[in-house]
Amino acid sequence: MSKLRFYLKIYGKIIVQDIKSKMSYRSDFIISIIGILLTDASELLAFYITFLNFPSVCGWTYHEMLFLYGFSLIALTPLQCLFDNNWNLRHYVYDGDFIKYCFRPINIFFYFISEDFDTKGIGQFFVGLGTLIYAWTKLRLSVNFISIALLVVALISASLFMIAIMNIAAATCFYLTNSGYVIGTMSKFRDYAKYPVTIFSTFFRLIFTFIIPIAFIAYYPSLVVLRPEKIPILTWLSPVYGIFFFYISYKVWMLGASKYSGTGS
Amino acid sequence: MRIKAWVSLTRASIMEFLQFRLSAFVMFIGNIIYLIVIYNLWKAIFASVDNGIVNGMSFNDTMIYLVLASAQFTFMEAYLVWEMGRSIQSGRIVLELLKPISIEQYKLFGIEGGNIAAFVVTFIPTFIIVQIITKGAIPMGINILYYLIAATLGMLINFSIDFLIGTVCLYTESTWGINIMKQVVVLFLSGAVVPLAFFPSKLRAIAMFLPFQAIYNTPLTFLTTGDLSMFNSLKMLGTQAIWVVVLFALAKLFWRLSERVITVNGG
Repeated sequence: MSKLRFYLKIYGKIIVQDIKSKMSYRSDFIISIIGILLTDASELLAFYITFLNFPSVCGWTYHEMLFLYGFSLIALTPLQCLFDNNWNLRHYVYDGDFIKYCFRPINIFFYFISEDFDTKGIGQFFVGLGTLIYAWTKLRLSVNFISIALLVVALISASLFMIAIMNIAAATCFYLTNSGYVIGTMSKFRDYAKYPVTIFSTFFRLIFTFIIPIAFIAYYPSLVVLRPEKIPILTWLSPVYGIFFFYISYKVWMLGASKYSGTGS
Repeated sequence: MRIKAWVSLTRASIMEFLQFRLSAFVMFIGNIIYLIVIYNLWKAIFASVDNGIVNGMSFNDTMIYLVLASAQFTFMEAYLVWEMGRSIQSGRIVLELLKPISIEQYKLFGIEGGNIAAFVVTFIPTFIIVQIITKGAIPMGINILYYLIAATLGMLINFSIDFLIGTVCLYTESTWGINIMKQVVVLFLSGAVVPLAFFPSKLRAIAMFLPFQAIYNTPLTFLTTGDLSMFNSLKMLGTQAIWVVVLFALAKLFWRLSERVITVNGG
């Protein structure tokens, strides 16, 4: 327990420094927030335009699809805000700067990840929340303590999956030089998380459930609120599976880091 | 003399692209995954309408349009805004200004070779796969020639917009934000996210007035409709050509005006 408090204290200190240094580029911060909001707005507009022409997608209505989208945006916020440094990992490894993380008496993964708090993810969170609330009221879903509590648990477990995928994708740079395309390709999968996995044939449904588990980012966990009359067993398993998957990705990352031998400089 | 410089820059950028063969392969795999998602998604969407044709677009048309739009994005997007932003921040821009060739030519020929190589390695295989999946729904005739011209002009428009936006980085010190904004606006208004045919009529009218549709919508229209009249085809290509001239001149002018604000700290 004291260890946890120790790490939380360090985390706070590192984050404050990071935010201070980012504040010196204020225009960059504002432009980046606008950029993220525009991205989300274009996605929403795409939904709107599609549903002007078509009544439903595989039995899913406009508002249900919006619910999935809002849910996925919130579930992806922790990845955007807290784990963004994974994008820089390959540069650190390639240039040899990664060695500095190896000389600290704290967990390498923790120290590396905590160094960057990405403020622009906050805009995405509010768009997601707004979309989710809008869809929730339009669908006239019940609001009570249990549904909110289930939603929070579902969101937390959903957020673990994409973080795990990105951890593994980033860790490939310990084994391959110039592996930027791996993380680039894997990050595109988050764009597919907003669709119900039922649109896919069985084969791809299995892949998106067990191998690249993007179906857990929005589809399975949001069924708890969206279709409470028939919740599949996978929905209930998603917190356990999320923790398991995150643990695996952590191990892969740490294994890569332990193989790191520096560049000699 | 000029031409020699162009040719060697083009060659260098082809070689640079070929250095990263694995990356090209992963780009191609990315296209295929996108194809799978788009195929399933739009199959499900089209299952909800009766006659299978909406606003003149069938399922096959939509597939061809969206998958090839994304494949076109992978060979056209050279992340020029990104690169210009970085070379401004790191000060490398100074070296590029010293080259005995104007910066926009240096940049253009430095990317276009990579674009051509990526076209051959990623776009053509994707094209063949789409043709097989849709059972030969892409008409193969004179329109392929039109497509190649339109794609080249589209690439030049894309370059000019990138160069224009990249110049903005001189003022803002922001790269990520500027780049993502440009990407979203270009992709959406060019019809690469949702085909322009599905847009509500007013929004479509606005989009048709802007240069972005000339990057994706014009070339892709040549691939989805084989029976365009000669007059219409030339009109579309002419519009593109006008945009190339206007935007390239604008980008050049803006750079000339902005050049003097460059500040490099040390170096």
